[in-house]
Amino acid sequence: MDSAPTSLLQGTLDLLILKSLMTGERHGLGISRRILQITRQTFHVKPGSLFPALHRMEEEGWISSFWGDSENNRRAKYYRLTNAGRKQLKLETKRWDRISWAIAQALEAS
Amino acid sequence: MPLLVKVRSFLRNLFSPQSREDDLDQEVRSHLDLLAEENIRAGMSPEEAQRAARMELGGIEVVKEQVRDDRKSEWLRSVFADVRYGARQLRKNPGTTAIMVFTLALAIGGTTAIFSVVYGILLRPLPYAEPNRIMAISEVTTRGHLSRLADPNFDDFRDQNRSFQAIAKYSDGVVSVSGASQPMRLQVAAVSTDFLKVFRVQPIIGRDFTGSDTKKGAARVVLVSNGYWKEYLGASPDLSESHLKIDNALYSVIGVLPAGFQFPRDVALWLPADLDGENTSRTSHNFSCVGRLRDGVTVVQAKGDISSIARRIHDTASDQNEYLLKDGAVLPLQDSITGETRSPLLILLGAVGFLLLVACANVANLLLAQASVRERELAIRSALGAPRRRLVRQFLTEALLLSLVGGGLGVLGAIFGVAGLVGLAPESLPRLDSVSINIPVLLFALLLSTTVAVGLGAFTAVRTTSRDLRNALVEGGRGQAGTQSGAKVGRLIVAAQMAITLVLVIGAGLLGRSLMKVLEVNPGFRVEKIVAMEVSLPGADDPKAKATQAIFFSNLIGRLQQIPGVQKVGAASSLPLDDNGLPDGMFLLLNQNEVPKNLADFDALFRQKERMGVADFCVASRGYFEALQIPLVRGRMFDERDGADSPHVAVISESLASERWPGQDPIGHTIEFGNMDGDLRLLTIVGIVGNVHQYGLDSPSRPTVYVDLFQRPRSAITLTMLSESDTKPVASSARAILQELDPEVPAKFRTFSQVYSSSLGSRRFNLILIGFFGVTALLLTTAGVFGVMAYSVSRRTREIGVRVALGAGSREVLAMILGQGIRTILIGVAAGIAGALALTRTVVSLLFGVTATDPLTFTAVILLMIAVALLACYIPARRATRVDPLVALRYE
Repeated sequence: MDSAPTSLLQGTLDLLILKSLMTGERHGLGISRRILQITRQTFHVKPGSLFPALHRMEEEGWISSFWGDSENNRRAKYYRLTNAGRKQLKLETKRWDRISWAIAQALEAS
Repeated sequence: MPLLVKVRSFLRNLFSPQSREDDLDQEVRSHLDLLAEENIRAGMSPEEAQRAARMELGGIEVVKEQVRDDRKSEWLRSVFADVRYGARQLRKNPGTTAIMVFTLALAIGGTTAIFSVVYGILLRPLPYAEPNRIMAISEVTTRGHLSRLADPNFDDFRDQNRSFQAIAKYSDGVVSVSGASQPMRLQVAAVSTDFLKVFRVQPIIGRDFTGSDTKKGAARVVLVSNGYWKEYLGASPDLSESHLKIDNALYSVIGVLPAGFQFPRDVALWLPADLDGENTSRTSHNFSCVGRLRDGVTVVQAKGDISSIARRIHDTASDQNEYLLKDGAVLPLQDSITGETRSPLLILLGAVGFLLLVACANVANLLLAQASVRERELAIRSALGAPRRRLVRQFLTEALLLSLVGGGLGVLGAIFGVAGLVGLAPESLPRLDSVSINIPVLLFALLLSTTVAVGLGAFTAVRTTSRDLRNALVEGGRGQAGTQSGAKVGRLIVAAQMAITLVLVIGAGLLGRSLMKVLEVNPGFRVEKIVAMEVSLPGADDPKAKATQAIFFSNLIGRLQQIPGVQKVGAASSLPLDDNGLPDGMFLLLNQNEVPKNLADFDALFRQKERMGVADFCVASRGYFEALQIPLVRGRMFDERDGADSPHVAVISESLASERWPGQDPIGHTIEFGNMDGDLRLLTIVGIVGNVHQYGLDSPSRPTVYVDLFQRPRSAITLTMLSESDTKPVASSARAILQELDPEVPAKFRTFSQVYSSSLGSRRFNLILIGFFGVTALLLTTAGVFGVMAYSVSRRTREIGVRVALGAGSREVLAMILGQGIRTILIGVAAGIAGALALTRTVVSLLFGVTATDPLTFTAVILLMIAVALLACYIPARRATRVDPLVALRYE
């Protein structure tokens, strides 16, 4: 279950990244692992999708980055949510709720 | 502030790419390390951990490239990269690049120059407020031609129309003006009250005409142009003391018009039209007419409105004859000014467009040749993961570089070219002063360059990247099999080029033949060694004043004859081939005892077809025919017998004799032609002279009635002096004599050769331009044929070497290469003939004496094309025969 997620709805990845940063700052691998964890091993975000998304979101101003030390004292680039990012997360969440509700309705229809 | 963040990222990406790159590199590497660490924690050996980490990451460079692709300003950065790379490519082949840039510069520059003329004359709006609402209003004659308006008809149009908010009549001509400084011949317009309102122009000083200024017998007032005011009235803001003597009457200057207002063309003074009362005839067409549409009224509605008034006049007018209007017409003023030049200008634009295509074909072939050399490079870029669109974009960028540089140079050239074009253009071309390289023209050039670039770039890209590029790597640099289809495309391009060039050169040939035919026309008079002197006395209506004029001219002619070197002196109302032309009208065949007593009876006579004739009316002196060597066919010329009080006589042209008196002898007949000069005395025909091409060598000569200047004097005449000596001393002696006789009469000198030559001006202009385009296209095509053949020979060196090694003689090789070339040439020529047959129809209006499918021109041009193209093939073919098989097989 790892090639499908990348072709998921545009914006879903953004939502997951924003969500994973809600609980605090993380580096790229941390984000990837956190997503794996909170999606119960469903989405394995590969670096080829993760990094472009992170850089794009940083340019959008939703997240900001800084260099810090990892648990094992390795230098790593950390990301955290900005205010704009928090707003964006709310927006994306609402959007996602609407979509999933709509899809669910569609699937239930006889 | 997200917006600020975005802008900052954009700028940072653009201007400090290196630090961004380093940062990205470190980030991806640290990610790799973290992954490996994680794997070690999961129990892998360090090597295994590294490997697995790399597997998961999937290639450092790939990830980095994916990030770059998503960056803001990435497109711009990659465009820079493409431009840099493209420029490097172009610099690598400086010779080819220079040729391509020069070719494009020539083509884009030429097209831009011609477009600037088309824009300035046809497209640029007239310099008045809402110019598209200004209409030219005309009468339509029984023959369906547009004509000027007769006074009563104008009055009806003005009073009865519901379409125009302002409508005015005007006519312009040269009159002598004195008072401000030395006497001058100036272009003066007589206009009706609302003339300036039509153009929404107001005097910058003083006032406009009012209704009371333009009534019969009103105090004489005049408006002056800005230029005249500055030059001759000292730009004085106080006009109260400014008076001008125009045609012997004193006028007060009441206003100065804004700079830039020039309508009609070159006019310096505007006077009220009807100070001496209107002409009551509905068939004396003396005034042009302009009007400004009411808001919301369309041209079609206005046309219908005027048309219904005109038809009402037609049905109810008392003077029913063939000079009475049949209908009315409304045309946008701009179309009416530029009407006759429209199709020649569009033909020129088409011709230069063809040249552009031919030039682009050459550049396309050069680009294709270059691209095929670059196949390996493309294949490598493609193998490294460059998507096809990126390669396509590279080609587009290079083509854009080429054509923008070429276009820029071309525009620089066009700036000079336009000055040259304006200098070369015939005087008759309207609105030449509005031709320049301006913003719309520059935009056109930019658009043209971009279009050319997109065309060329897309073509090369599609041709080059459509094949499976991996083949290029497999084939290596040998480049043999893969280029067969490329060579075919090259030959197709050359064939198309030949076809277009053939059309262009045939067009030029037809124009050239037409000019030759025109020059072969016997004008009916001599052109060389004639000095022409235009003189206009103040207008005179009463017989006494006219008699004085006759004496003045008689004295003048007598004195001019004494200038050393002058052999004959004549005078006529206007020179043949000059723009002014002659008035034309209806005359009556009458006997002395049939002359009616009142005007109504004249109308009745005009309705009798057997009594009526139509002719041009020319006032001439006895010396005129001798000076211009217009031959006497029968009877006699004017002579001493024809004094002012003896019976009035006329000499008619051969064409009138055969048209009006077929099979009869017109000599001795009497005619009445009083509607030309108001003199109702009968004219006895005493002689027949040869036909004269009055309106240009390419228009048929028209039936003409000549009357004697001393019997029927007029105020404005052109004197013709046949002189063996130089023009200048004759002109200055003549000017001195005129000054002596009357210092207030201005004169204008020209040689008849100048008049003759300027009458051919537009024909020459078209021929020079299309000829230039044709020759240039021919050179480009020759270069194209040569280039493609030479390229094909060099690509086939190995093959030829093998053939020679296997025993092929140089004759076989020559035949093989030439055969290929000849096939291309024949395809091109065949397509060209088809194109020419279809397209030369459009130039019919410019042709004279040849048909649009003139077999001689076609044959000559086709042979020329084939010969030139064969020569261009022969040189590379000869080179092929000298291929040394040993060298060839080791080639590359």
